[in-house]
Amino acid sequence: MNSLIKLELARALRNRKFLFFSVIYPSLLFLLFAGSSGADSKVDGTGQTVAMYLMVSMASFGALTAVLMGNSERIAKERESGWVRQLRLTPLPGRGYVLAKTASAAVVSLPSIVVVFVVAAVVKSVRMDAWQWLALTGAIWAGSLVFAALGVAIGYLASGDAVRPITMITYFGLSILGGLWMPSTTFPQWLQDIAKWLPTHAYAALGRSIEQSHAPQAQDVAILAAFFVLFAGGAAWLYRKDTLKA
Amino acid sequence: MTTTAVTTETPVVGFDQVSKVYGTVRAVDGLSLRLHPGETVALLGPNGAGKSTTLDLLLGLKHADTGEVRVFGTSPREAIVAGRVGAMLQSGGLMDEVTVEELVRLACNLHPKAYGVSDVLARAGITQIADRKVNKLSGGQAQRVRFALATAGDSDLIVLDEPTTGMDVSARQSFWATMREQADQGRTVLFATHYLEEADAIADRVLVLHRGRLLADGTAAEIKAKAGARRISFDLDGDIDETALRGLPFLSSVDISAQTVRIQSTDADATVHAVYGLGLYPRNLEVAGLGLEQAFVAITAAEEAQQS
Repeated sequence: MNSLIKLELARALRNRKFLFFSVIYPSLLFLLFAGSSGADSKVDGTGQTVAMYLMVSMASFGALTAVLMGNSERIAKERESGWVRQLRLTPLPGRGYVLAKTASAAVVSLPSIVVVFVVAAVVKSVRMDAWQWLALTGAIWAGSLVFAALGVAIGYLASGDAVRPITMITYFGLSILGGLWMPSTTFPQWLQDIAKWLPTHAYAALGRSIEQSHAPQAQDVAILAAFFVLFAGGAAWLYRKDTLKA
Repeated sequence: MTTTAVTTETPVVGFDQVSKVYGTVRAVDGLSLRLHPGETVALLGPNGAGKSTTLDLLLGLKHADTGEVRVFGTSPREAIVAGRVGAMLQSGGLMDEVTVEELVRLACNLHPKAYGVSDVLARAGITQIADRKVNKLSGGQAQRVRFALATAGDSDLIVLDEPTTGMDVSARQSFWATMREQADQGRTVLFATHYLEEADAIADRVLVLHRGRLLADGTAAEIKAKAGARRISFDLDGDIDETALRGLPFLSSVDISAQTVRIQSTDADATVHAVYGLGLYPRNLEVAGLGLEQAFVAITAAEEAQQS
């Protein structure tokens, strides 16, 4: 299976467009959004500086891009082309394909998190304790598994022309409504009430609590865990259905 | 290997009363067959005959509703995990944006009894295009890459679903030459094809599949014989006594247009003899062998006539 992970990774690293959108683009957005803010300007209703707030948002957004965008469309395409069937004629275990995809996405999502941190620290002078940097990296990286599972589920659910719009709607919907692009505190109350149940909202909230040296909110952890079970269960069910029908 | 040994050893492939139903369509209907070591077997049938479903069942990509499929005495999946089966699918997509060599290396890494990457490339005739991206290949080149994936290791059974689709005539010939080498090394080869001349030219044994059932099983020569192996045509002067002609022995079909009579016969010698026996004087007499394609059409037509 390692050889498939290596090949998936080599392919991902060759795909400049994918690398740009998952590794460089979140940092550019960070600079764009945080650019004019002063070092002390705070985000309303959060008590955090704009730079701190956006750093978690954009690192989460980058990780989300890396694990969601690549997987869903590739899996749908490769199911249709018959590559998935061809792999089933090798001794590779059935779940090996999905695991290799997820593993290679996780390798790309790590730099997309770290690059945002470096840009934030260098350009906007964000400072934290060493344990916070490590914990934050680990939390955002591990949390991205929730969305990797979602990407796999979409890949097995949609096919052909449908997969790109479904991925895009999910991707932008989760990013924007979850408060990754702008603080959800700027939303009208009714939208805030919805947003706080989204996995992306819980995902970013997890990172913010580490920035503020708080223990994570039990509700956020529970929401992320519940969505992980939902997405991973859905992906497994759809995978099995696809395997029986193929 | 003696012929008596063949009957007692574990068959390479064993189908025992296997059925697979989609909705109301019986794609495979009570199919029983055995493949023996070293055979080169063609699976022949029109579209929708159940060829691909049969191969999918054999490879464990689909599961039988009833009956049992065994490969080397185990389940298809176990045989694949043991590296005993190499297969090339009709719908076998390839991973794109990687090079031919990278993809072949992956197949070698996954195969428990793999050959060296350069050997596999050379045997499939794709050494020259090893650095090319998989998504930039022509149809014929992609087929060769699929063939390389199917022969990445020392498998005992090679399964090919319409392998020469998209190849031109010379590519097809060199493909079958490569395939024969595989068979000469004692491998069992099973291929589905709708290029009927390929079954005729390459296979030791031909299985004719129709509506999910095995219609005929024998050498290409036997299949032709079964279907009415020879075509006889001649011209007659004057009024033609159609009833007398239809009474000729060993006929499988008679077609009379104007003064020309065309007959298919399972025993051309006897039929021609009987034509003279009727006191007729056939002119422009021709006796020709039927290609397997016509033999095949005749078998399936007879089958359909029986059913309706």
